[in-house]
Amino acid sequence: MKKHVIILLFAVVLLPSCMNEPAMQPNTYQGNFEALWQIIDTKYCYLDYKHINWDSIRTAYKPRVDTIKNEYAFLDLMGSMLFELKDGHVNLFSDFNETRYWKWFQDYPANFSSSLIYNNRYLGDNYLIAGGFQYAKIDNGHIGYMYYEDFMNAFSDSNIAYMMKYFDQCKGLIIDVRDNGGGSLDYSKQLASYFFKVETVTGYMRHKTGDGHSDFSSPVEIRTPASKNIQWQRPVVVLTNRMSFSATNDFVNRMKQSPLGIIVGDKTGGGGGLPLSSELPNGWLVRFSSSPMYNADMQSTEWGIDPDVKVSLNATDEANGYDTIIERAITLIK
Amino acid sequence: MKKFQFLSLIILFSSAIKAQNSDEKKILLTSNANTFGVSTINLLDPYLSPLTYSGFGISYEHENRRFLSTEKTNISTQGKMNMEASYNLNPQSTSSMMFLGVNYSWGMHYHFRPAKGLQLLAGGLWDADFGFKEVPRNINNPVSLDLATNLNLSGVAMFDVRLRKKTFRLQLELQTPILGYMFVPLNGASYYEMFELGNMTNTFHVSSLHNKRGVKSSFTIDVPSNRSVWCFGLNFMNVRYSANDLVFVRNELSLVVGTTFDTANFAGRKNKVPKNFISTNE
Repeated sequence: MKKHVIILLFAVVLLPSCMNEPAMQPNTYQGNFEALWQIIDTKYCYLDYKHINWDSIRTAYKPRVDTIKNEYAFLDLMGSMLFELKDGHVNLFSDFNETRYWKWFQDYPANFSSSLIYNNRYLGDNYLIAGGFQYAKIDNGHIGYMYYEDFMNAFSDSNIAYMMKYFDQCKGLIIDVRDNGGGSLDYSKQLASYFFKVETVTGYMRHKTGDGHSDFSSPVEIRTPASKNIQWQRPVVVLTNRMSFSATNDFVNRMKQSPLGIIVGDKTGGGGGLPLSSELPNGWLVRFSSSPMYNADMQSTEWGIDPDVKVSLNATDEANGYDTIIERAITLIK
Repeated sequence: MKKFQFLSLIILFSSAIKAQNSDEKKILLTSNANTFGVSTINLLDPYLSPLTYSGFGISYEHENRRFLSTEKTNISTQGKMNMEASYNLNPQSTSSMMFLGVNYSWGMHYHFRPAKGLQLLAGGLWDADFGFKEVPRNINNPVSLDLATNLNLSGVAMFDVRLRKKTFRLQLELQTPILGYMFVPLNGASYYEMFELGNMTNTFHVSSLHNKRGVKSSFTIDVPSNRSVWCFGLNFMNVRYSANDLVFVRNELSLVVGTTFDTANFAGRKNKVPKNFISTNE
């Protein structure tokens, strides 16, 4: 009995040591550098996938921290280090600025001009607006055209039902998600559901389970349901460019599996890693890709999704008021 | 002879009084306490941030205690409902965290009465705990939920002090979780993956001393005034639990004030309102 009591007391005293919170780095330039480096080292999901030697990056940047004179320079230096990840989902937010990597679209042709889609051949002046969509009939009423610029814009089944009714005499539908930088994955799923007849596995997701660069959970299926209320049964063309990123990338990935969907335009910008956030001792917020997403063939979508039909904006067409990518979509539907 | 008649009358009268007293139904009273508190709080939720957030909160607590029956005046039941809200900031005040918590507990205590005016209570409480933490600045991990149920060891010491014709009650209450079940989010996974894609693997854990330890304590003093009894006190809470490589900590110190009062409950066919009570139902 006495032995049992001693063991119990021993356990009670020792076990809490398993529950000590991890030590925080001090709020100094070096401490914040270490904290940021460790967050990326243990939580960022693409270090191995992108063949990034994060240890050597630490070696390269750490000595430069000692030369830092103020917060602005420190943010710039940390931004440069994060730049090495080549990830649009990685940002460092301070109270005065935020770092960002934009080369995923800046180094590519825009393939989108808002002045073109608002000319009378497309949306014109009298387009309709519902649930974040701007929509109109184009090509003499034969084609439905919807421009959706932000997956943060909420829409409902009712919004979509009215749009589908408005387009009920059209031969096909164009959904333009060019320059749509993403937003909610729920809206991505909901929008895609109108173009599926049966629930379909359209991708997979994993998350980091340990500090190792390749410590991941088993893949979890990402399913796209078929909407019970609304079904579009004719061709649907999704227009993409490099600024189709994040949740838009997810939408395009889903639509790749739609039996009615055709992807037209440029390769999407990617952003296949669902980002999470953490904080540094100085209170800055870091956003980073945490959960990699894959297509139905377990291929990463981080670097973007190739269109079914690659089309670029033609300068001559643009000068004449034509959007080459929309025109190609019209031809494909016809 | 007259003496004998007088004595008989006294005996009869006194036995009638005794019979009358023994016929009087004993009524169980429920001791209630309603308190409001202001608190300082420290929260560490590494799913939301590696930084400890600190702030101020407000709380409301209702507690009731009664004996099991009129015969068993050494076993009491206790119910407690606690609600609180707090607003917290990270150490650099660059981000805020809102916390909403609700805890309901119910249990029993055995009463020991080692000395006059002193009661020691020992027993157990079952509780259900819900907490909602939100860091609006976060991206895809803005919310963390506390969901847990626990069996707790509980001890109470009550000491009545007579001072200036008034009885002041000092009460010390201690509670510690020993066994339970809790939800802990997956480290590194989003709520989208857990709730939307349904990956709840390894999110529910049995809790015991190996992964959850803590103490909730309160020290109160009941001060009678003319028509009410005021309750002043200090509550302290330190709870930490761990699962999925995450360690969660909650420290809280509250100053509480409220009132305590006794009530009698009448309901049903067998427990009707006595005739000398007036009810709005009649």
